[in-house]
Amino acid sequence: MRSIQRRLSLGLAGVLVVVGLILAQSSLWLFDHSLRRYLREDLEDETQTLLIALVRGQNGVQLDERRLDPTFQRPFSGHYFRIDFGDETWRSRSLWDRSLQPPAKEGLQDGLGDGPQGQRLLVFRADYRRFGQTFSINVAQDYTPILQGFRRLQWLGLALGGGALLLILLAQRYTVRVALRPLERVRGQIAQLQQGRRSELDSQVPQELEPLVGQINRLLSHTEETLRRSRNALGNLGHALKTPLAVLVSLSERQDLRDQPELQATLREQLTQIQQRLERELGRARLAGEALPGAHFDCAAELPGLFSTLGMIHSHGLKLDWQAAPGLCLPWDREDLLELLGNLLDNACKWADAEVCLSLAEEGDAYRLWVDDDGPGIAPQRRADVLGRGTRLDEQVAGHGLGLGIVRDIVDAWGGTLSLEDSPLGGLRVVVRLPKNSSVA
Amino acid sequence: MRLLLVEDHVPLADELIAALGRQGYAVDWLADGRDAVYQGATEPYDLIVLDLGLPGKPGLEVLREWRAGGLATPVLILTARGSWAERIEGLKAGADDYLTKPFHPEELALRLQALARRAHGLANQPQLEAAGLQLDEGRQCVTRDGEQIELTSAEFRLLRYFMLHPGQILSKGQLADHLYDGESERDSNVLEVHVNRLRGKLGREVIETRRGQGYRYAGVGA
Repeated sequence: MRSIQRRLSLGLAGVLVVVGLILAQSSLWLFDHSLRRYLREDLEDETQTLLIALVRGQNGVQLDERRLDPTFQRPFSGHYFRIDFGDETWRSRSLWDRSLQPPAKEGLQDGLGDGPQGQRLLVFRADYRRFGQTFSINVAQDYTPILQGFRRLQWLGLALGGGALLLILLAQRYTVRVALRPLERVRGQIAQLQQGRRSELDSQVPQELEPLVGQINRLLSHTEETLRRSRNALGNLGHALKTPLAVLVSLSERQDLRDQPELQATLREQLTQIQQRLERELGRARLAGEALPGAHFDCAAELPGLFSTLGMIHSHGLKLDWQAAPGLCLPWDREDLLELLGNLLDNACKWADAEVCLSLAEEGDAYRLWVDDDGPGIAPQRRADVLGRGTRLDEQVAGHGLGLGIVRDIVDAWGGTLSLEDSPLGGLRVVVRLPKNSSVA
Repeated sequence: MRLLLVEDHVPLADELIAALGRQGYAVDWLADGRDAVYQGATEPYDLIVLDLGLPGKPGLEVLREWRAGGLATPVLILTARGSWAERIEGLKAGADDYLTKPFHPEELALRLQALARRAHGLANQPQLEAAGLQLDEGRQCVTRDGEQIELTSAEFRLLRYFMLHPGQILSKGQLADHLYDGESERDSNVLEVHVNRLRGKLGREVIETRRGQGYRYAGVGA
């Protein structure tokens, strides 16, 4: 967003400055050019007036002072002439002690000539023949006031142009911001998606964004669908394998086999291994991991169901409790988190005497989960063993094992950590720390 | 205790029927979800064991229909689908317990016993106790004043049913409905014989006869 804005501003400003300068300078030049052409006619008129003022007197050719413009008499008036004929050179009084450099050829001099008192002169030369002689009449006019006018105009133009540029840039910034607002909204929605606060992007977007948003939504639903299908397939596979396994487990307990304890023990052991391996691998395969950006787990909506399920399974009067900030949402797949919490809490319930407590909180850039119980706990020196080998925490309590193994898989998939501590309730506290979605910058 | 088993895998169903029969349940077996919806709601079952992957109609659907129809019988879901999300789903549909395959037969027996006790308001008891008698459902024997008395399978079934309904008058028809599966022949004389044998082992006062109404479990020293 910001980069598009800046790029547009820079581009527009550049174009406006270049075009503005070219336009201003060329119009000044055109104006200067036509003004000089206009003044040239005046100067030509003046040369003719001077020509007429040339009269033949007693001492040869003379200039009739009365016919001269009074400005030629006033020193440094800005109007000057110089008449060259034969060996003589006449200068106007206004030139005072300065001379006027005549142009090399007839007509208006290309550049401006230097005049007295720093004046810049527009010089015109016309050659005439009169009284059998060639008179080269040069007339000059001070161009400085006009140059100063031009300079003033340039400053004014620069100020006006700068102001206009600023105004245009501000207006453009506003327009761009308004135009890019849908883009900004989509960006915000994608951030929400990553944080698990929304499951798809709003499809009410401008035409230009429609394909993008549509494609993202399609991808999301496709990922979700794929996950659902693969979970379903895994469920079916599990069903197909576990039902015969249940038959075998049941058979292994038969009276006929009790008479052959060795055979029964081997059978049981192998069946247990198959079962554990199956649970673990199916559990691992079911994990969504980070595949689903729209996934989220609404604590207030999901935990009551989980806790009543736990209450149903562990019906021996445990006090089950959970604490989470109102509206706390965890940005992970619902089923994964239910599996994580379910297994941790299930273990806690098996060991607890009377109380199990779950506490969830947001801590800086991570989420912190505590599962507390008031059971016997685990001695500190054994904790590393229990975590390291992923051994069954529930070996002595009937029920499905591997809870901690699957928990480890889930925590690892999310880049989190799992540790065991003393619980204020007297038993074990399982601490799970899950970093906030690492893919969100 | 009459138990409905809904399970489509025949070898497992055979195993379960045999095991549950040994534990004194009168078992009816169905393999199709549609049949289960009907039969579960019409026959007076005390417990239902329900598989989820059923032909005809998914198990959860069957359960929802039962609950929507007001069926209050405790239902234990027995399934290979063991994820917590699916367990919660099962509970929401109205299940009372959830056991995942493969399971230990003993675990199933314990859970069914606990479920029956819970359904009759006798939760938090490791054993079935009523009015001075303790029934060991695993070994099928009863303890009276610290003295253990062995029971035959039929006596055990009858006593268990009585002990789950202490103080209630139970007609012969009602007893027959809950002690025999849908295919056994019902003979009220047989019932009388078993009641008398129980009285012989435990004392006459344990089971009272209400003329024209049926029997009532009174227990000992109550």
